[in-house]
Amino acid sequence: MLVSSTHTAHAQEKSGIKEGFVLKEQSAKILLIRPTIKVGAQSTGRMFEPNADWTAQAKENLGAALAVAQGRLGNEVIVAEEPIGAAAEKMADYRALFSVLADSVIRYQFFPGNRLPTKKRKGVFDWTMGPGVAEIGKGTGADYALFIHNEDQYGSTGRKILQIVAAMAYVSVKSGEHAGYAGLVDLRTGDLVWLNADRAMGGDVRTPEGAQKRIAQLLEDFPGSTSKPAPAIAAAK
Amino acid sequence: MAACLAATPPAFAKGDAIPALPTYTAAYEPQGVDERGLWMQMDEAERALRDSKAVINDPGLVQYVRDVVCRTVGEDRCRTVRVYILRDASFNASMAPNGMMLVHTGLLLRARSEAELAAILGHEFAHFELRHSLNGFKQRRTATDIFEWAGVVVSGAVAVGGRGAYQVARAARSVQMSAVRSIFSNSREQERQADRLSMAYLRTSPYDPQCFSQIWSRLMDEADATAHGRRQRSRRYDKVSFFATHPTDLERATYLREIADGMNKSGADAAERYRTALTAWHPQLLADQIRLNDFEGTDYLLTGLARDRWTASLLFARGELYRTRGHPRDLVSAVSFYRDAIAQDATNAEAYRGMGLAQLRSRDPQAAETLKKYLAMKPDASDNAMISTLLQ
Repeated sequence: MLVSSTHTAHAQEKSGIKEGFVLKEQSAKILLIRPTIKVGAQSTGRMFEPNADWTAQAKENLGAALAVAQGRLGNEVIVAEEPIGAAAEKMADYRALFSVLADSVIRYQFFPGNRLPTKKRKGVFDWTMGPGVAEIGKGTGADYALFIHNEDQYGSTGRKILQIVAAMAYVSVKSGEHAGYAGLVDLRTGDLVWLNADRAMGGDVRTPEGAQKRIAQLLEDFPGSTSKPAPAIAAAK
Repeated sequence: MAACLAATPPAFAKGDAIPALPTYTAAYEPQGVDERGLWMQMDEAERALRDSKAVINDPGLVQYVRDVVCRTVGEDRCRTVRVYILRDASFNASMAPNGMMLVHTGLLLRARSEAELAAILGHEFAHFELRHSLNGFKQRRTATDIFEWAGVVVSGAVAVGGRGAYQVARAARSVQMSAVRSIFSNSREQERQADRLSMAYLRTSPYDPQCFSQIWSRLMDEADATAHGRRQRSRRYDKVSFFATHPTDLERATYLREIADGMNKSGADAAERYRTALTAWHPQLLADQIRLNDFEGTDYLLTGLARDRWTASLLFARGELYRTRGHPRDLVSAVSFYRDAIAQDATNAEAYRGMGLAQLRSRDPQAAETLKKYLAMKPDASDNAMISTLLQ
């Protein structure tokens, strides 16, 4: 946090899909697990300054944009209800497990130079949470669970001024961070069928239009979608 | 009990060092961008924590700890507090700005009386009441801003070069150092403030304020034992390191004793009630402590807990500690600790298990007999199959 450094882009893959996986056509029911969404500013000294209003706006905008995007693919998104008691513990366990799983995929598969021996064969994407994960979808009739993690740090005015002044002194300073990932888990088998992770995303999630752009990036290469980026649609105001 | 009796007469009156209790606002809502942002983060963290397996869900124990908080800070103030007991063997507790209080099991194991627990939780509540998270956040932000600007000056001076570049870079580096120093010295000052406010709570509580300083004296001894066991240099207590977030234990023990002496207040330490409340959890807490692989620190802790009486569960824990280190001489000691534990509590199957395993490694022919006894007492033990293979 205290040391200034410039960010170098490594050759990194952004998404993976399980070999031979085809999404249940046109009628998939997708259970949306409470997304982790953090939005705030980045101070001059690169500290994250959480912002409650921006986060609330982003949650709303991203939720609406997601429903629209999945609707266009013919899928239905069900928002997971907040569980109570033993079910709450199960849900907490699987949310925690997913974040570890996603980190592992990003670290040990998406970076080709760092790939585990078992992940080296071309086209292989073999990760699972185990069949026990079915329990979190019990009673919802959902086929898949969708996990979303999104973190935005918008460069503060101070950070931007620093960036400009630094540039005049031939020093490169990065302002802002926009990272996220989305993953789809088959609730019957527990297999991770698709994951997309991006460390540098566009779209201002604080606005409905920006959130649509962000969702389009988060869902890039989503099973059943075309590889083309989705055309911008009118904002739902 | 005599655990908290004050032995030294007051060196000088320090009663004025304690602040008056601030006016208390019930159901406070966060104000401004920074505070609302911090609360949002903590609310989200609390959702995850509430359902986490790291938290011990024993309503009786949680209620007991909560009652201690309430007796310390008063009924009004404690209404804001949600207590979570974290299964973590380190000595720690914390309180988030939104009223979430975390109490580590390592603290519950080390405190010897309710008054000691009250002093620590009062200290955490003081951080909360003084809104230290927010102030610390703002202070760190200012300091890191300065650091970053000075960093650009350093890199710029190097990139541009020319005469005087070295002097400029050097001056900017020293600005960076003082910015970093300010973060840590601010943190230490907040700790002192929280200590003083905790003493103010203790003054109006039923507890004896002398207990607070005694915790730090014991922690120094435990840290010395740990350092000795790990062949490390013992940490010095007369010098504050650059990156220290807290005042040294010695400093705290000293000023807390002076304040308590100046208060001239006696109170209960409620050590017996504390012991009763924690008894059921002792085996679990001791097992977690032993897994830390800190032989001498743990032995110091066990000896302190036993004081004049080694209970069956403490003897068993000591047996486990010695057996885990496992030098031939430790195995001999372990067997005798298990034997004493069994003498007090013949139903302790685990003690037979430990004794049998220690005997087995010492090539003692009695081992088979002892392990058979364990299996007979606990036929559905999860390690039944493994122990059985050892017997063949």
